Amino acid sequence: MEAFSFAQSPYPIRDDIPQAYRNFWQRLASPGSWWTGDERVAIAQESRSALKCQFCIDRKSELSPYTFKGEHSHDGKLPATAVDAAHHIITDQGRITRAWIENNSDSGLSKEAYVELVGIVVAVFSIDEFHRALGLDLEPLPEPMPGEVSRYRPAHISEDMGFVPTVPPDGAVGNESDLWEGSRGANVIRALTLVPDALRDWREIAAAQYLSFHRMTNFVQDDNRSINRMQMELVAGRVAAINECYY
Amino acid sequence: MLRVSALTTETEIDLQGVNGNAASAAVGIDCGAELVAFADAIAYRKTEDLADSRKRLLDVGGAEVVVDAAGVAANFQRMVRIADSTGIPVDDMEMEVGKEVRAALDLTRFASAQNTLNPA
Repeated sequence: MEAFSFAQSPYPIRDDIPQAYRNFWQRLASPGSWWTGDERVAIAQESRSALKCQFCIDRKSELSPYTFKGEHSHDGKLPATAVDAAHHIITDQGRITRAWIENNSDSGLSKEAYVELVGIVVAVFSIDEFHRALGLDLEPLPEPMPGEVSRYRPAHISEDMGFVPTVPPDGAVGNESDLWEGSRGANVIRALTLVPDALRDWREIAAAQYLSFHRMTNFVQDDNRSINRMQMELVAGRVAAINECYY
Repeated sequence: MLRVSALTTETEIDLQGVNGNAASAAVGIDCGAELVAFADAIAYRKTEDLADSRKRLLDVGGAEVVVDAAGVAANFQRMVRIADSTGIPVDDMEMEVGKEVRAALDLTRFASAQNTLNPA
């Protein structure tokens, strides 16, 4: 059966949603910039495992996540730093610090690899959350595809904000010219641009789940949505508040 | 964005809906209380409340509303993690509408406010 058929869904699901998910699933299985297909699917699995990890549950209640010692529940396919990063992003993202990312980099999880990992973890989590919200079974992860990583790095990189280097607002040129065409490079759009394909992934999924960059400028109601912009932003704001996100 | 969309449509809303107040969420926003209850069940991972809140939203809004609300909630479960895991600051702290919303919702109580206010 085709992935994301939603055959069991009691709700009518717009065609652009499964199409975006299928496209991502294909890219997830393929070699990326810094992780192989095997590793990318293993990272996706850790995005799921984090929610059941007892160490994460215990650590979340500690005053600081960085002094609490223990071991994550995981299947051993990834380095410990990568497992910890994937779980931390899912279960305790509000307490991630620059120092933690720098320490991980010193321990072998480069910032490039970290950014690609973030992109995978959050994309899978978001797709899974859509399923959970509707009471649907999660889609099985794809079979990894063989191949080498590209080690691609954008030509223009800045360290002017945040914890990781990003493409600057005027840096979406050349191979990166598509990243935010017709839109300004807001910080949240720039966040994953150290690995441009990570932004491309989130952009396509966001266009289906929420709005495309172009349609975000319509603050009334998108023609292809059953809820108006205020209703969308109420849900968005509530989710952000529960996650204690200042941005 | 909620404040901007309300200003654009000249709708009176109560921002405290974002902080989980159901009565506030219903001010000026169709299905506001049901949307907030659904978002709460998703983001707080309240499995026991999820089916009930989904049913209530279905009853007042219909199936397409449930799907679109699920999509938005799922999307922002991702966006907050992108923002916090990369430590990005707020783009423009001087915009009046942003100042108003941050003050009304007391957003400086969140640990991730430091990424904007006191970046390491």
